[in-house]
Formats: sequence, C-alpha cells, structure tokens
Amino acid sequence: MSHPDDLLADYVDGTLAERERAAVDAHLTGCARCSVEVRQAEAAKAALSELEDVPVPFGVTGPVLAEAGRRFERRPGVIWGRFQWAAGLAAAAALVLVVALNLGGEDAQNAAAPERTAADAGGTGAAGAEAATPGVIPFAGLERQTGVSYDEAGIHAVASDAAGAVLAAEDAGGSQAAFASTVPDSKERTSLARDCIDQSGVRGPNDVLIRLIEARFEGTPAFIGVFAEGPGAGQAPDHIVVFVVARDDCRILSTASQRIPPG
Amino acid sequence: MPDPPARDEDLVRRYLSGDRAAFAALVERHERRVYNLALRMTGREEDARDAAQDTFLTVLRKLSSFRGEAAFTTWLHRVTVNACYDLLRKRQRAPLLERGEDDLPAREPPPAPDHADASSLSMDVQQALLQVPEDFRAVMILHDVHDLRQEEVAAIVGVPIGTVKSRLHRGRIALARAMGIEQRERFEDAEGPPTSGGSHGATPGAPRSGERADAAGPSEGTVSP
Repeated sequence: MSHPDDLLADYVDGTLAERERAAVDAHLTGCARCSVEVRQAEAAKAALSELEDVPVPFGVTGPVLAEAGRRFERRPGVIWGRFQWAAGLAAAAALVLVVALNLGGEDAQNAAAPERTAADAGGTGAAGAEAATPGVIPFAGLERQTGVSYDEAGIHAVASDAAGAVLAAEDAGGSQAAFASTVPDSKERTSLARDCIDQSGVRGPNDVLIRLIEARFEGTPAFIGVFAEGPGAGQAPDHIVVFVVARDDCRILSTASQRIPPG
Repeated sequence: MPDPPARDEDLVRRYLSGDRAAFAALVERHERRVYNLALRMTGREEDARDAAQDTFLTVLRKLSSFRGEAAFTTWLHRVTVNACYDLLRKRQRAPLLERGEDDLPAREPPPAPDHADASSLSMDVQQALLQVPEDFRAVMILHDVHDLRQEEVAAIVGVPIGTVKSRLHRGRIALARAMGIEQRERFEDAEGPPTSGGSHGATPGAPRSGERADAAGPSEGTVSP
C-alpha cells in the first residue's frame, strides 16, 4: 500500500483541498499506520499550540543596543566613505577599508547574503595591533566557561596564571603561544564581551587584552578580561590586571592585579 | 487617528539613513519573538539569552547588506535559527572539563527547561521537543508554535516546501513519541496493555517511551537531510 505521506502534514493542518482530504480520509479508514501517525501528529500540534511565550528577561538586549549606539557614532564615516568610493577617490577607499576593519569580521555561518569583505580575511584590526606588542601573548578569542563561577581568589589565580604565562612567553623569545581557547566563540560574542569591558571604563590606555573569559563571578554572569599592562605604549608589560564586569550591564564586579617579575 | 506602525523594512531604511532610534524600535518589536524561538530551540534560558544576543548582533552587522529581497522577519528568523544551531553545536563540542553541572551535552537526555513560569504541561512538551532532531524541531516551532506559513518556514530554513511538509509531519510524530503519546494510542487501540503487541494501532519499529529521539526520530524515507 502506498501511503500519502506528503499530504499528512497538510491534512493535520486542515489545509488540504476537499478532494485531497477525501482521498486521505478514505486511505485512513484502511490504514492503521497512517491513522496512528495522524493522531500522533494532531496531538503534537495541539500540544505545541499551547506553548505560551515567556517574557524576555531583563538585560538580554541591553548590550546589543549599547553596541548599536557605539556603531552609530562611527556611521557617518561609513556613509561618507562609500560615497567617495563611488566617486573613485583613492583616499576614501582607504577610509572604507579602515572602517570595515573597525567593524570586525563577519560570521559567514550566519550570513543570509554573505558578502566577503576585507574584514573577513583579516580578522579584527584591534587584535592584530595587540598581537604586535612585544612581550604580550596574542589574544585568541573568547573562552566560554559558563559552568564555572569564580570568586575573588579565583580571579587572583587568573591574574597569577597570566603573569606566569607572560614570563614564559618572554623566556621563549618571541614564540608566543596564545591562551588555549578550547571553545573559541563567535566574533560577535567576543566583540560584545570586549565592548562590555571597554564600556565599564576600567581599561587603561596601555592595557592590552590577552585573555577573555565568559563565566560567572560569585554567581553573576560575567566577562573576565585579562590585560597586560606596560609602563608605556609598545613597552613590555610589567603588570597583569584583571577586570570582571557583569554581563548584563557591564558594571564592574571585581578587579585583581599581579606584578610580572622582571625576567 | 495615530499613524500606522512603521514597516520593518522602513525601520531598516531609517536606521541606515541615520535614524538611531529605528534599530532600537526593531529590537523592541522582535525581541520577544526571537527570545522565545531561541528558548524553544535550546530549552534553556541561558542559551536563549545568548542566542538572542548573537542574533541581534548579527542583524546589526548585516543590516547594511539587507536588500529587502526577503521580508525582514524571514531574514530575522533565519539568523535566529542559525544562531541556535551554532549554540547547540558549541554545546556539543565543549569538552567535559569546560562544562558545569548544568551544561549537559545535547546528545544525552536534555536537562529540564529552566523557565520558571511555564506550566508543567508546557515543560513536558518542551522537554520532549528537545528530543526531536534540530532540523525537525526548527520547522515545528516555526510553524506550530509561531504560526508561520509553510512557505515562510521553507524560506527561513532554506529547503523546498516538500521538505518542510515532510519534516513537519515526521517531527510531530517524533514529538508525540517523545511525549509518550504512542503508548496511549497503542493502549487505546489494542484495548490491552502496551506490551500485548500485534495491535493495529502500533507503529512498526516504534520506540519505547523515553527512548532517545535521534534513534526514534523520523525514519520513514520521505525526509530530506
């Protein structure tokens, strides 16, 4: 017996034309398999239709809107740059490239209409600049440890680990291994976490990000930024500073610092 | 009489031409839809929150390349579903040491949903939903929970309409089995205990209640990968 599998979804939805519905009805009277399937599908559809929306918890879209505001500040340059590009001006072409790099990479998996840009190939400009600073471990991406809750002692341990890693990197003479980012996260999320820490205002001018963790701090969802801090721009770091900010509103939850002993 | 609300596509244009509030209006309008879709797909508030944020960040980045060829909501749903897939994949990939006690791997029986205001019935449904393979789950949630037409679901998921119909039907059956509905059907049809066998109401090869959905899932030949 051939079963009308391709009609059963519409049969359950009640959207079949009268003639097709009659044909399926006739089939169901003699087919136990399809009869059971239809009853199961009807029960499942009814159960799903009773699922109600739940309210969106506080803080879900706050960081996104904050990011939108920051982007908006940069938008005039983008619009102007595109106009000039169309006019064929080389200087404007360079501006577009810079703006594209500032906007960060694209996540191709999420692309509805993927457009390859300079940013796709190059990653973020900021990360490149950080990697070039002497004695600093290159930043490898957000590490997600959502099952872990740190306390003050844990944050100090993170600072100590980082200081040790910087020393080891200096000893290795340039072969600087990044912190193992076992579950590297999307560029979007990494950018969100970086911006959240920047927004908190704690980051100093000579602080270079070397590690970024998403976890909890004493139960509160948090981003933990680990920075190498030098006495001046481009100089080898002499301190590790760790900032812990709340994921929902980017307020500072904790800090720690650790001196890097002279090598 | 107040003006009718702006269309999504108009809000996109307004944002791109310099109206800062237009993006906030888009987020406010759609956050509930996006969050709830993500919650149904992932089953956990924590994951739904992450997926919703990832979704709107992606939208923010891609708005300038949105050409209006598809409806904004179609595109938004597509980005949301993809964000959920990404998140579920990451959860599967996470090494054991990285997981906390509430981060069970997705390929084991799923954790109980943690939204506190759900009724016990909807929690049962949600838990069963997590046992249905993701591709089928997405189609069912979009159509049966969010009431989107099959054509729109096809556009969101990027498969032919026939595949949507097939995933919808097989997904519903997998959900019913995960909810244990098959057992009741058997019992009623056979007028005897479920173990009696040979009933016309039993589906050949049907899984036991509580059996894993992947194994129990759609297996009847009409399903596209």
